[in-house]
Amino acid sequence: MFEPEVNPEGIKKAEFVVAIPSYNEADSIAFPVQQADRGIASFLGNRNSVIINCDNNSDDGTKEIFLGIRTAAPKIYISTEPGVKGKGRNFRNLFEKVVDLEAEAVVVVDADLKSITPKWIKHLGEPLFQDFGFVAPLYVRHKYDGTITNSIAYPLTRALYGRRVRQPIGGDFGFRGELAKVYLHSDTWSEAVANFGIDIWMSTLAMNENVAICQAFMGRPKIHRAKDPGSDLGPMFRQVVGTIFDMMREFYPFWSQVKWSKPTSIFGFGLGETEMPPPVEVNTATLFQKFQEGFKHCSHLWERILHKETLNKLQEVGKMDRDLFDFPTHLWINVLIDFAIGYRDAVVEVDELLDSLIPIYLAKTLSYVKKTERMSIRESEEFIEEECVQFEATKSLLLQRWNEGTGGRS
Amino acid sequence: MAKILVVDDEEHIRLLYSEELTEAGYEVITAADGYKLIERIETEKPDLVILDIKMVDYNGLDLLQEVRNKFYDLPVILCTAYDTFKEDIKSIAADFYVIKSFDLTELKKKIATALEAHIPSS
Repeated sequence: MFEPEVNPEGIKKAEFVVAIPSYNEADSIAFPVQQADRGIASFLGNRNSVIINCDNNSDDGTKEIFLGIRTAAPKIYISTEPGVKGKGRNFRNLFEKVVDLEAEAVVVVDADLKSITPKWIKHLGEPLFQDFGFVAPLYVRHKYDGTITNSIAYPLTRALYGRRVRQPIGGDFGFRGELAKVYLHSDTWSEAVANFGIDIWMSTLAMNENVAICQAFMGRPKIHRAKDPGSDLGPMFRQVVGTIFDMMREFYPFWSQVKWSKPTSIFGFGLGETEMPPPVEVNTATLFQKFQEGFKHCSHLWERILHKETLNKLQEVGKMDRDLFDFPTHLWINVLIDFAIGYRDAVVEVDELLDSLIPIYLAKTLSYVKKTERMSIRESEEFIEEECVQFEATKSLLLQRWNEGTGGRS
Repeated sequence: MAKILVVDDEEHIRLLYSEELTEAGYEVITAADGYKLIERIETEKPDLVILDIKMVDYNGLDLLQEVRNKFYDLPVILCTAYDTFKEDIKSIAADFYVIKSFDLTELKKKIATALEAHIPSS
């Protein structure tokens, strides 16, 4: 029988919540739960705490595994209705529960984490009891892990909202309990947010609320099920990028006033030697092939979405050999500007529009992989930082085109 | 006129920055170390801080952390003779970093950008 909530200890109030969203994570959820429990005991033992698994009614036994783990902190299991899926929907249940529990602070960690330590709970949680309202993670990631973050989410949110948050869709973060009410009452909720758009939505709302944000250094890299950036991206890409574009439309009055960017505070040092992340394999042949296929399948859409100069430049890049391939940063910025405006104006159906961005994004990823091939992680970070400065410097063009209305498409 | 606090333990750097930045139209105040830096900022209310990373008795990166936690949006530019400090993750809490040079063109550019940066209140 379906139970929307299992609360074995009848917990009614909690100061501190560690939440673990899941869908069919029976094989992996035990480890983050155990680490979270140790983190609570070691660093937040004086707070009334609870561990919540917010689940999509998994049918692989996630619930039974979660409830069966022996922990010092009490546990609550909450679930969406049978058949109702989506990471964001798990979060919506969480927000309601957080308000219900009158929690002061919430830390969320992914259920597939293999590298979480108890200190992650401390570093994501402690700043929330000081002056910070939102804590984003800062971990060393392999240069090819998180390419949507590196090419789109980080540079765009930084240029738009002015806050340098390196992992705005990191999946592991903290927020103050009051923010749960803001999230619940926001009228920007959408189907994309109800799914994988939730992380960027939460980060962006926090920035727009002018909440004090800090980045917590995790020490260990994020080790989870990293994907080859050329593998099937479809729904996740659409939901994350669609949410970014939705928020651009919604928060224009805010971001149009933002000039350049400001850093955030960093929390959580003294973790000893930083561990290097495992390698991520990238199939550059697939990236190149998918970009080339994009010309066959998406040209008719690109002609309606892209500014004439952008389209011409893209066609030039399309003629390059794989060995000499280069996708200039300024072209990528112009592509994103045109797509954001095309999305706002619904020049083509939005799912088609977002899908047609994927081959171009893969081309940008291929170029990034080639340019950073011989770079260390630190050097590749500097490369991304330089790209971010170009994004910020091009903001006047974005504003000009945004205010022109149609963006001057060909 | 924007007020800039230069924190550097080398006297010739303080003098150079004072002269050049005053000429560029800024009001410049200086400190030879990080002693009571937070109190100094509270009293003097600078619009921007230029912070040396390696001072005899002070680590600029630790000072940056203190400043950032207390003054969330106060622009801070880190200055150093070497670029190895970039390996330290603490450096990302700075608005910018520059390699020390007698040519202050780059520094002036960063100062202008940092002072221009603006995030509206919601």
